[in-house]
Amino acid sequence: MILIKALLLYLLAFGQSVADEAVLTEIAARLAKTPITQGDFHQQKHLKVLHKPLISTGTFTYDQSKGVIWKTLTPVVSLLLVNESKLLTGQGEQAVPAAFGKVFKAMLGGDLKMLTDGFSVTGTDQKTSWQLELTPKDEMLKLIISTMVLSGDIELRDLEIREAGGNVTRISFDNITHPAQLTDEQKIDFERLSP
Amino acid sequence: MNKKSILNVYHPKLTAGIWLAGMLVICILGIQALTKDWLETGFLALLPTSEQQPEIAKATLQHNQLLNRKVIWLTGAATSQQAISHAQKLKQQLEQSKLFSKVVLEFPQQQYIKQYRQLFPYRYQLLDAQTRALLASNPDELIKQNLEILNSPIGQMQAADLEHDPALIFSRYFNAQNPIKLNLEQGIVVLSDQHRFWALLLTDLQDERLQLDKLEILSSLVNSATEQVKTAGGELLVSGMPLFTAHGAQSAKQEISTVGIGSSLGIIVLLWATFRSVRPLLLSSLAIGSGLLAALVICVLFFGKIHILTLVFGASLIGVADDYAQHFLCDSFGEKDWNPRKGLKFILPGLSLGLLSNLLSYAGLGFSPFPGLQEVALFSSMGLLVAWLTVVLLFPLLLTGFRFDHQPGILKLTTYWEQHWPLWVSKNRRWLGLMLTVFIAGGLWMLTPQDDVRLLQSPPAELLRTADKIRQLFPMTPDNQFFLVSGKDQADWHQNEQTLLKRLDAVKQQKALTAYEGLSSYWPDANRQQQNYRLLKHKLYDSGLLKRYMTDLGFDRTAAQAEYKQFAAAEHNTLTLPEWLAAADETKQQLWLGCEEGRCQSTVALTGISDAGALTALQDLPGVVWVDQVESVSSLFARYRIRASGLLLVAFCLASLGLGLKFGWRNSVTIMSVPVVSLAVSLAMLGWFGQLFSLFNLFALLLVLGIGVDYGLFFFMAGDRRASTSLGVTLSALTTLLAFGLLAISSTEIVHAFGFTVTAGIVTALLRAPLIGLKTISAKEH
Repeated sequence: MILIKALLLYLLAFGQSVADEAVLTEIAARLAKTPITQGDFHQQKHLKVLHKPLISTGTFTYDQSKGVIWKTLTPVVSLLLVNESKLLTGQGEQAVPAAFGKVFKAMLGGDLKMLTDGFSVTGTDQKTSWQLELTPKDEMLKLIISTMVLSGDIELRDLEIREAGGNVTRISFDNITHPAQLTDEQKIDFERLSP
Repeated sequence: MNKKSILNVYHPKLTAGIWLAGMLVICILGIQALTKDWLETGFLALLPTSEQQPEIAKATLQHNQLLNRKVIWLTGAATSQQAISHAQKLKQQLEQSKLFSKVVLEFPQQQYIKQYRQLFPYRYQLLDAQTRALLASNPDELIKQNLEILNSPIGQMQAADLEHDPALIFSRYFNAQNPIKLNLEQGIVVLSDQHRFWALLLTDLQDERLQLDKLEILSSLVNSATEQVKTAGGELLVSGMPLFTAHGAQSAKQEISTVGIGSSLGIIVLLWATFRSVRPLLLSSLAIGSGLLAALVICVLFFGKIHILTLVFGASLIGVADDYAQHFLCDSFGEKDWNPRKGLKFILPGLSLGLLSNLLSYAGLGFSPFPGLQEVALFSSMGLLVAWLTVVLLFPLLLTGFRFDHQPGILKLTTYWEQHWPLWVSKNRRWLGLMLTVFIAGGLWMLTPQDDVRLLQSPPAELLRTADKIRQLFPMTPDNQFFLVSGKDQADWHQNEQTLLKRLDAVKQQKALTAYEGLSSYWPDANRQQQNYRLLKHKLYDSGLLKRYMTDLGFDRTAAQAEYKQFAAAEHNTLTLPEWLAAADETKQQLWLGCEEGRCQSTVALTGISDAGALTALQDLPGVVWVDQVESVSSLFARYRIRASGLLLVAFCLASLGLGLKFGWRNSVTIMSVPVVSLAVSLAMLGWFGQLFSLFNLFALLLVLGIGVDYGLFFFMAGDRRASTSLGVTLSALTTLLAFGLLAISSTEIVHAFGFTVTAGIVTALLRAPLIGLKTISAKEH
């Protein structure tokens, strides 16, 4: 996934990370690089107060310049659109919530400076897969997120967010493709984000 | 009779002693008065308050209170991280300056948490308008929205709240309290436009009184911070009422020194050229200096504080206060064996009448309700009175043995002028008269009054641009206009405000404003709290909807039972307004004006008004008053412009009457023709040049009236001393012109208009006055 690749390159270029440079270089070298990425997601939220996870599925589209479309199809259909400065949900325009929302945007929207400034990164690289663990440096963010684990091969496959309060969110990505162009429907969705 | 009494009281040493004693008293009083904080700089201090209803005045004061101290800073950079780091450095710098009582960069999270805890026990009584509507019409939709939020990748906060707020009802209420959504990064508000990210820093000045030295520190702080952020590669935007005040004070200060130094230099050059002696220079300075000092001291003693704009006008007094000294000095050219006694005897009636007419015109200013003009009136009349006293009491002693043995070039010039100019005019009177009539008629035709109070302040375009830009990025500063809502008790007030807010919502949909804020949308009154509870009970709890939702979501059965139990226990909770206010932030607290004498009042703040017409239409609602400070003061300006016109007429009639009684009606008309023509030309000039014509020009015209009468009188009484009178009038006109001409270059619209009007009037008076006594000249020539 292009943003992870770019993130790793960024880490290398500025040497701010504690991750082993060689590992990051290798991971970065593996990732597919295209401006558009799309696929399906399967999200499980394990909330402490609920005895079963909240499960949702849907599709996502990442466009390097335009942002992210996060379309939930089950259990309720809803659309979330996000770019550098704007967040639209079914409830209208929202503030990008403190802490996590910002990180989510940064990851999917490629705000690399935010990620590298905000996290300590450690990584492991095996033959077929890699894993990165991000730990927030910021005290306020630490109150909400304890760690985020990204793993994959030539794509980002899994994302796990462990919240400080004990809630855990696991998102896995499937059927990832890299089309050369957005579909008309995707274009219309992104259109809503432009001011 | 007059002359006799003067001869009798001519005791130069005695009068000088009286003068000295008087000045000593003033100096002693001055030391006391001027060591305190005596300078006012705020723009609002110039506006009258007495005309407003007390409750509107109180609401206005409270509405402005926060606004007047608030300075907004935005640091911009290509990335949000850089913007934040600029802001952090700026924050340190601002804290070190000790100018501010509050420097807020990080979002006050603790306060937020505290508020959450304080309101949480009343969660079943508090509903935001949207949730209430949804519950009433379609509670299933509410459940659907919850699922949407919880499953969304950004629903972390709500998911964390789920444990104690399963239906997320309170989370909705709490979020609705901050209608404008702001993005936070590291706890800092970050805004963005196409090019940059901006970190927001809010500060409150420590002192609402905005002292000049503090304002100067603020200005230089803004400048140095702007430079620093720029060198670091960023950009800084700063705005706020104090900045506008600081700019006004700064330009006023500059104008005081321009006018002061300009007129002083002019007077020195003129006096030196005329008298070629140090003594007249020193004497003139003494007269002006004592006049200004006394004026300042008396004004501060009387008003407690004096506004910096008063001092701008005060500086122009130099040119007027000098007139009396010059008349006395110039008179010494009138006779071969001149001495102060003879001089005083000759000029005293003219000087006294001149003083009287000037005091009369300044007294007119004093009758206006504007504190600024009252100050100008007292300042100027005291300045003139003391300058006159100095000339009359002190000069006789100090001029002993004073005489000239030279013929100043300027005397030859003015003599030539006063002899030939009237003759030329007389020869060409037909077409000159016609031209003058056409000129005056045309100018008056084009004269259009303007009464906008904003003309009092003329901020530079740069400052306005920045303010606009900040308003676009951060549309949270309330506008000047607001609604005042009243009711006979809390319930009545609540109902009235709710009615207004509902209408405002419609206006907002039409994009006539961007936001409004009223307490009743956050705090439901006791009735509404009960209604809210019943609505929840009926639609969510008793219907079993909540139970189903909680089970489907995966809550334990005990959790649902506990929730139902808590709900039942909270039935009789009521959150009082004081409790709600105690938890609220400053901006919301400020909306409440309190209950007294069977009346409860609040203000509804408005932001981003683009169509005031749509809002004024709402003032017909019960208990609602539309308050537009700018508009109401502007209409006050218009009313007083008309009243001041009447005042001008009264002053004119009084002067005519006085002159008529003393010199006869025919002579009165002759003398009064000088101010009449001057006033007419002055007004016509305003029309021709498209200058601002407002209340303030009328006060300028009052001065023209006074000065016109002076010049007319001096020439009328000149007799065989036309040469020295002409010199005196020319010199005093030149110095006055210098002073008011310098006012005309002011960047403040009204000061400029004032200067322009007086300048036009004096030039005309100077041209018109020598025509008096023309017959005697013509007779001599033949």
